Amino acid sequence: MNAIEARDLSKHYRDVAAIDEVSISLEENRVHGLLGRNGAGKTTLMKLLTAQIFASSGSMQVLGEDPVENAGVLSRTCFIQESQKYPDGFRPRDVLRIAQKLYPAWDQGLAADLVADFRLPEKRAIRKLSRGQLSAVGIIIGLASRAPLTFFDEPYLGLDAVARRLFFDRLLADYAEHPRTIVLSTHHIDEVSNLLEHVVLLDQGRVMLDEEADALQGAAIEVSGRLAEVEEFTARSEVLHEARIGALATATILTDGETTAAAARAAGLDVAPVSLQNYIVHRTTAAAPAAAR
Amino acid sequence: MRYRTVIDMHFVNRMQAYGWPLLVMVIALVIVLSIGAIVGTQGAEVRAEMYEGMTWSGAIFSLLGPLIGYGFVSMGQYFPLALGLGVTRREFAAGQSLLFLGNALAYALLVTLGKTVEAATGGFGLGIRFFDVFYTGTGASWQTFVQTFLLIVAVLFLGAAITSAFLRFGQPILWISGSLLGLLGVAIVAGIVLVDGFGGRLLELLTLSWGSWMGVIAAVGLVAAGTWVLLVRRTQVR
Repeated sequence: MNAIEARDLSKHYRDVAAIDEVSISLEENRVHGLLGRNGAGKTTLMKLLTAQIFASSGSMQVLGEDPVENAGVLSRTCFIQESQKYPDGFRPRDVLRIAQKLYPAWDQGLAADLVADFRLPEKRAIRKLSRGQLSAVGIIIGLASRAPLTFFDEPYLGLDAVARRLFFDRLLADYAEHPRTIVLSTHHIDEVSNLLEHVVLLDQGRVMLDEEADALQGAAIEVSGRLAEVEEFTARSEVLHEARIGALATATILTDGETTAAAARAAGLDVAPVSLQNYIVHRTTAAAPAAAR
Repeated sequence: MRYRTVIDMHFVNRMQAYGWPLLVMVIALVIVLSIGAIVGTQGAEVRAEMYEGMTWSGAIFSLLGPLIGYGFVSMGQYFPLALGLGVTRREFAAGQSLLFLGNALAYALLVTLGKTVEAATGGFGLGIRFFDVFYTGTGASWQTFVQTFLLIVAVLFLGAAITSAFLRFGQPILWISGSLLGLLGVAIVAGIVLVDGFGGRLLELLTLSWGSWMGVIAAVGLVAAGTWVLLVRRTQVR
């Protein structure tokens, strides 16, 4: 069963198409990455799917139903957004207490553990928290809610490396114990690449990629060598990125399975894998000039 | 039942939501009592004049004033958090409406109690007016209760409706509404100056009976509440 089904979903703000005819199907009980550059439409899509905003056109099903004004769906959906606003005077413990009442599967023990792990000052006013501590509030709610569908929108802005690692470890551990659907939007792609099972890449409001993460890990390779040899080899390939230093060149090309890498080695070129982050960077960068035209 | 959580949200920080307004009210009351004690030393005639003049005292707004902002804050600060935590707009509207009515009831009872004691003790023995003023009604205690309750309810829903309109339509709605109100003001002034009898009829309107005024306040409250309920169901979280 799919946790999310969107068909031709659009969100227009006057003449701007923040989301433009997006159609995706996200399987339940998997970790999905929602990736893209700033302004690609990631947050807008998540806000649509959690009924924070209304679609201009198209349809969507979340946990099998339309989420708009649907308490049954929204009580099983947790949306952690980096821009969440809190009322004046609210403290982390206040937000956690409210969240506990709203999410039926809330785990108070886990929440308490996470507060300690993240060293979150529960009794300090939220407006006095650092950016990282504010992110920790969201992460704790997202994990402790144990919602069947959880959206994390840039969940660890301002978190240090130790806290980010803590988030990944706790997310993975809790996910293994309590499988659920997680949609993770982030710019730190390399840090989550091992976590993601499926990736949707948005660019200018449209779906650019909708693939299994495993398939994307080997979707491109980096070949390097003498300029002439690289140019000759890449003439038959789709080049995502090219860099030249004097008589040497490096190119990132799309592969056709292992045969492309083997052919490159046979042509005397060095072959290196391309990380998911670099692949995404090259894909969106390559698309930018085309879109500008 | 999740509408209860919306109410709980407002009780999270009781000191900020209820403690401070009551404390400010007590401070204002102490100041007015001090003024009464000082002026009282000037003789019975001066005290009687003060008692009469204080009919228009606005000191009670130390309590009612923050309530004007309460409607704005509910939509501006609590609505985004409620929706962020998966509350539906319908649940939010139900919880928030109950909270508005509960607040109005509690504060109206407090003001009525204060007014009754104040009237019975001749202004707490000092000839002052704090609760027993024009804005809360100088008639019978039950009239104070009705007037205060209706005023608070109307103001709360009006504040929520204005913020919802802002969230829904953005700044233009504030500019348009402000301009229309300004035009209305200019039209009234023009009517008084240019049209014979307009001023007289306006005065008649303004000196309607107490019951008629309560009808007007209730109508404003109902329109504000209706507008808010309509708008909140289409309001998006920015």
